[in-house]
Amino acid sequence: MTEPIIQIRNVHKRFHTLRGTVHALRGVSLDVMPGEVVVIVGPSGSGKSTLLRCINRLETIDSGSIIVDGIPLKGARNINKVRAEVGMVFQQFNLFPDRTALGNIVLAQRVVRKRKKSEAIAKAHDLLAKVGIPEKADAYPGQLSGGQQQRVAIARALAMDPKIMLFDEPTSALDPEMIKEVLDVMLALAKEGMTMVVVSHEMGFARAAADRAVFMDGGVIIEEGTPDVLFSNPSHERTKLFLSKIL
Amino acid sequence: MDERARTDSLHSLPQGDPDDEQRPPGLYERTIAWLAGLPWWAIILGVVAVSVLYSMLTSQAYRRVIQALTDNPQVSTEDLFEVVQIVGEPTMVVGSYVGETQDSVVNIVDQLLSAVIDTKEVTYTGFILAEDPASLTIRTESGLFTIPKDRIVEEKREPAEGGERITLTYVDRITVSGVLTKKTDKKYTIRTVNEVAETFDKSRILSRQVIPCDQVAATNCAEGEYVTIERQGETITGTLNTLSNTSLSLILADGSQREIRRSDIDQFNVPTLTVAVNARSATVPVVPGDEVRIAFVQGTNITEALEELKSLEDVPVPLRYAEGEARVVLVGYPSLDEALTATGAGEVEALLYLDDGPDRLAAQTWVDEHPNASVVLPTPPRECQKGCKVSVKLKDDMLTGRVAEETDDTIRIVTTEAEYLEIDRAKVIENRRMVPGMCALNNLRGCNAGIFLTLRVTFQAYALALLLGLIFGLMRVQTNPVLYAVSTLYVEVIRGIPLLVILLYAGFVVSPQLRDNVGISLSDEQEAVIGLAFGYGAFIAEIFRAGIQSISRGQMEAARSLGMSYPQAMRYVVLPQAVRVVLPPLGNDFISMLKDSALISVLALPDLLQLGRLYVSRTFRAFEGYNTVAILYLLMTLFLSMLVRIIERRSRLPH
Repeated sequence: MTEPIIQIRNVHKRFHTLRGTVHALRGVSLDVMPGEVVVIVGPSGSGKSTLLRCINRLETIDSGSIIVDGIPLKGARNINKVRAEVGMVFQQFNLFPDRTALGNIVLAQRVVRKRKKSEAIAKAHDLLAKVGIPEKADAYPGQLSGGQQQRVAIARALAMDPKIMLFDEPTSALDPEMIKEVLDVMLALAKEGMTMVVVSHEMGFARAAADRAVFMDGGVIIEEGTPDVLFSNPSHERTKLFLSKIL
Repeated sequence: MDERARTDSLHSLPQGDPDDEQRPPGLYERTIAWLAGLPWWAIILGVVAVSVLYSMLTSQAYRRVIQALTDNPQVSTEDLFEVVQIVGEPTMVVGSYVGETQDSVVNIVDQLLSAVIDTKEVTYTGFILAEDPASLTIRTESGLFTIPKDRIVEEKREPAEGGERITLTYVDRITVSGVLTKKTDKKYTIRTVNEVAETFDKSRILSRQVIPCDQVAATNCAEGEYVTIERQGETITGTLNTLSNTSLSLILADGSQREIRRSDIDQFNVPTLTVAVNARSATVPVVPGDEVRIAFVQGTNITEALEELKSLEDVPVPLRYAEGEARVVLVGYPSLDEALTATGAGEVEALLYLDDGPDRLAAQTWVDEHPNASVVLPTPPRECQKGCKVSVKLKDDMLTGRVAEETDDTIRIVTTEAEYLEIDRAKVIENRRMVPGMCALNNLRGCNAGIFLTLRVTFQAYALALLLGLIFGLMRVQTNPVLYAVSTLYVEVIRGIPLLVILLYAGFVVSPQLRDNVGISLSDEQEAVIGLAFGYGAFIAEIFRAGIQSISRGQMEAARSLGMSYPQAMRYVVLPQAVRVVLPPLGNDFISMLKDSALISVLALPDLLQLGRLYVSRTFRAFEGYNTVAILYLLMTLFLSMLVRIIERRSRLPH
């Protein structure tokens, strides 16, 4: 058996706010194998987004360890190298509004990967074609629909040739008729063998693409299993309760 | 962002800018929109065109072009703006007063003119002393003359005792230097200086100060003692002829008339005649043969009082004559009080009181204080309107000049005064000097140096302030406590101190310290730039901080998640967006810095305001002077704010 590409061991995370301390992650452990697609579900505030953000150290962890592609995140000297290997797609897209779709995809290639301009632009055009909007290369984010924006965001992350893709509720901010176009791109990505960790409540996507589904609540992983088993036949009461609410 | 996405997906709502209101865009907005739609090169071309137009209207280059085209040096900017002001002062006139009359203002076109005028043919007879190919020196009875040969019209030489005798006729040329004040098609009026001597009593001298000769701005410091004398205003006594709100005229003892402006008067004493009458006798007319007793205060001029009485129209009863004559007995009293008491007691029928000093209303006061004294004042005390003797004391004044003659009692001072000379333009051979005058609306060339200084200092200071603001603004959003504390300290301290104080600090504290301790000496301009930049840096830092903080955290996270370092994310993602956000406030700050740059005049820099003040202090024409300054500032800020609007519009993101 190969080494897991993401190793999460007993991770604790507390947020200190003015109103007090929130214990967001209470000893989470999770392994993700190369090429695996993991879907994390759970109620709001269960810590699933926090877990995802810890994987590329947008949040630091208080204790435990996370090893990504063999590099322990805690004290990693060049976190940017790790991040370049881990693409992330946000709920709110977070496209750079002052750059065209093409410019969004080209920027990090030039700045981080130091690619030649022509090379970066060619790659950007390829990726825009891949996500199905080759004609929008010169459009600004403000001129794109939500679904189109999210697809540009995926293309932007893919442009870095990441080994892992993290999706943080990628379809939650979208209108229903646009969800499918984004899920189709993600599905195609999963078929290509990309390692993906997806926080999402899209059961259809999970069943079609995920190797494993994880249910989180209260900062801990309650149960995990294949999507079919977890969604149709959960073993824990809390999972059942949650699924009964969203299905 | 998702907001936009939602709007798009639902239906195509009208996509208004957040600042587009219901009201249709006005002419200004449409003009700006049109300008903003032009390509960059067109906008730059427009800016250059405006600058060129301005410099054409004002610059020496334009003058040269006109001169080449028309051969008339006078057709220049002054003609375009020939308006109402007296501009400039020739440098050779020290403290002279520029004349002006009540109904005419001398319209001075500011040019120092030195004209050579062809006058007339002059004939001299004398002995030749020296001769060279270009000139001839002869001795005549009235002195030595050197005459250029090309000006000699006719000459006749004959041998005589003691040398060769020559009679020659040549064209005499004179040179007139001064300020061109008025010109018509045929004439120039030039104001030159004229020496005026004034003799006055030494008793009037309040203080006297000797000026060293090299301080006298006159180019030729002649022999003699130069003094500045503060002298007591003259006291002039005469008969009042006319009296208006602005001036009065007196007929002096020698019959001459003198006009005195009220603003020149320190004290003005009008004799006031008061007539007091015994209450009982006030109703009884005087019958011929009666004896009328009239009181007066001993020591006053009763003859003058009686003269005054004659000019009164409404004479009270005891003094009113019927036909024939009444016998008048004058009774003197040592004081006004006693005279008034006697009038009340019936000892006399009436009282005449004439005074031109502060006591002139004393009788009135006495009657007011003694209501039961049975003394009436039939007519209110009369103020003199015409024909009475008045004395006027003029204000103290100052006089600067050369002492020509001095005796024990009097002193004669020669001062310089403006003199207006009219010359024929056709006779002018050469105009030698055209010196740009002071900054005024009809002479904008004089303002150029100030405008350029103001713009130069503003641009330099703003560039430095942007740099400071960016550095401190970035420090303000750091989590590092030291950086945060340092930048916050800077911002809070600087924002709490008036800009004027900061400028004075830069000029008089920091700069001398640097010079003495570090050995760096700053020019006045650099001090001003540093002061303005530090003062504005704090505000710009806050603008940058707000701009950076207005960019959502997601932008930074997205950039970091792509592997960018913090500086890279700042440089490529956050700052470009923040700059768009802060562009309007930065533009406004630029304009307000342009205005605040007027404060640098405290560092003795000749900026636009300083030039205006100089003009005002020379001419006392505050209205014109400050109008010029205000209008020029306004033009600059209007132009710049238009540019700022255009840049703002162009930097808007498409949606």
